[in-house]
Amino acid sequence: MSTLTIGGSQLDASWFMLLSAVLFILGAAGVLVRRNPLVILICIELMLNAANLALVAFSRQLQNMEGQLFALMSMTVAAAEAVVGLAILVDIFRVRDAEDVDDLSELKG
Amino acid sequence: MSTLTSPQTITLLVLLFPAAGALLLVGRGWRLPRRFTVIVGPLAVWASFICSVNLFLNKVNADFTYWTWIKSGSFEVPFNLLVDNLSIFMCLVITGVGGLIVTYSVGYMSHEDGPSYARFFTYMDIFIFSMLLLVLAGNFVFLIVGWAMVGLSSYLLIGFWYQRRSAVVAARKAFVMNVIGDVGMILGTFVLFVQFHSVRFNDVFVFLNPNRNCPQCLSSMHIVFSDNPTLELAAFLLLVGAVAKSAQLPLHTWLPDAMEGPTPVSALIHAATMVTAGVYLVGRMHPIYDVAVYAHGAVAIIGAVTALFAATIAIVQTDIKRVLAYSTMSQIGYMFLAVGIGAYSAGFFHLLSHAFFKALLFLAAGNIIHSMNDEQDMRKFGGLWRDMKPTSITFLVGSLSLVGVIPFVGFFSKEQILGAAFSKPDDSAAQILWAVGFVTALITGFYTGRMWWLAFWRKPAADRPVEHPHAPPLVMMIPVAILAVLAVIGGFIQTRALGFGPSQVSDFLASAVGPVRWEGGGTEVAVTFLTMILATALFLGALRMRPWSSRFPWAQRLLEHKYYFDELYDRVFVRPMDWVAGFALRDVERPLIDGVVIDTGAVTRWSAGGLSLTQSGYLRNYVLVFVGGAVVAAVILLVRANS
Repeated sequence: MSTLTIGGSQLDASWFMLLSAVLFILGAAGVLVRRNPLVILICIELMLNAANLALVAFSRQLQNMEGQLFALMSMTVAAAEAVVGLAILVDIFRVRDAEDVDDLSELKG
Repeated sequence: MSTLTSPQTITLLVLLFPAAGALLLVGRGWRLPRRFTVIVGPLAVWASFICSVNLFLNKVNADFTYWTWIKSGSFEVPFNLLVDNLSIFMCLVITGVGGLIVTYSVGYMSHEDGPSYARFFTYMDIFIFSMLLLVLAGNFVFLIVGWAMVGLSSYLLIGFWYQRRSAVVAARKAFVMNVIGDVGMILGTFVLFVQFHSVRFNDVFVFLNPNRNCPQCLSSMHIVFSDNPTLELAAFLLLVGAVAKSAQLPLHTWLPDAMEGPTPVSALIHAATMVTAGVYLVGRMHPIYDVAVYAHGAVAIIGAVTALFAATIAIVQTDIKRVLAYSTMSQIGYMFLAVGIGAYSAGFFHLLSHAFFKALLFLAAGNIIHSMNDEQDMRKFGGLWRDMKPTSITFLVGSLSLVGVIPFVGFFSKEQILGAAFSKPDDSAAQILWAVGFVTALITGFYTGRMWWLAFWRKPAADRPVEHPHAPPLVMMIPVAILAVLAVIGGFIQTRALGFGPSQVSDFLASAVGPVRWEGGGTEVAVTFLTMILATALFLGALRMRPWSSRFPWAQRLLEHKYYFDELYDRVFVRPMDWVAGFALRDVERPLIDGVVIDTGAVTRWSAGGLSLTQSGYLRNYVLVFVGGAVVAAVILLVRANS
């Protein structure tokens, strides 16, 4: 892995990958272990942004703008997803007092 | 080009009036006032009769093509109606006798409620339409259409009282028997199409004309027409259709059961018109039968055997309508005998005369049944001569006509057939057929006499349903009276049986079925009178004769079981089919087909039960599976990238 020049100082690209991986694993672990639906949504955002970071880092290293474009698109999707997700949550909270996603398990087989 | 009065339009109107009548009454027609049904039903038939008379008076003789129905390569089916003297003759019989009977039905069916009343006249008009289509059709395809449609309307009318199980069973039996005939007709048409490449009657017959003078015959067709197996095959297949429709042996078993229908239906369909369609078919196809000599002989033999066979069964019947049904079979046997030996116009004269006197007998019997509260067993009648004088007189006219007493119409027509068989030159087989017909004529005298004795002459039976029968209404009596007058004077249009006098029917039909081919001599007339005297003696004798049943119990049993035909067909066809159906149900349907379906369902249900455990409903479980899958996929990709 070569180095990236950011603001005059050089940094090994693998650090970015490492940070991205750490953020992603934190997000995934959050989705898995937390039960508050709002926190789960935030964790999903975290995972998306971890992916964005990786995209931008690669884009910079490979001198290819496609990665950055893809990150922009991913942000758009993330925004839309947040809107839809929050709307669903608001609707659920309106009809019942569910603070725990495990309470929303009526569709089990 | 065709105006409203051109023959082309009139011919179409003959067909369209009954069809329009049926359409007006069909469906919810009964919601209209009952008087509407009373007017529309008979009027449709009478309007058609007037059009037929118009065709008759204008001496129309043409083959009208209206449009092409199907065209596919060389196969072409036009909608064409063949109007010649034969079809005009048939139209007059159908609409004339049919009009009288439909008018009679206005009174006979008056006890029916509104919907059934309208339904009856709808069916009657459909029948008249189908029968007219049958006789006017100018090609084999429309002949088959009419042929099948009269079978359908017969089925509908036999099963008219569908609440009665016996009526439904009888209707089904008639339909199945008729379909056997339809299949024969269709196969016969295929054979003729393969041979002649056309379904038009005139195209087919032009090749069969012995003194033909057509350009295409010289170039393309060099068929040796005598002893031609293809034509024999076609003629035999068409004969299957004729035999089934006309209730001749061995496809006769449906006709006696068809008496389950209302009496006007028996009079119109199962005596006067539909059952004579077989005679019409042989007459219409006479160019084929003239060269197909074996099939032609078979027609005559079937007719003679059926005449004798049915007459013997009629001796022991106790239901008045069944006696008339068997006598119908017997008389149609005479017609088959006539057209089978080549005396076509004699056969059609008997068709006309039979339509008169048998419709008369059925309608008069209907009067009796009507006033006896629907009792049909003659053993419970008796004394009707005293109590129902007008009906009895008309019934007597019909009976004497059936026996063949001069000067009633039956004498002239039946004796002309017997005379033709007796005097046919160079044909000893025809003399044997004459002998059969002669014996049948004597038996006819006997069973008619027995019917008279049982129903009219003797003292009233102790268990007669009605002590003082009411007189039939005028609307029923007038058609009966008209038919009685026709049965008395009808014979004088053709007195050929006596060797002199007019022969209107034969002259009229000569252009369609050929002129009379041979003349009888003085012996023939002597034999004619001998037959009549013996038959009349038996008719009168039967009034005083003691029953023979105790002396010949085995014969009584044989006749009462109608020669065991129903039992035979039951053993040979019905029961094996029942067994096959039962086998298919027990051993194929249930274990195999049902089993596969049921087991498929069971397997699905069982596996679904197992799989549904994975659906916990907890979001984190799904995410865990998803993430776990992603990790596994990533590991696999990494391992493969590094190796």
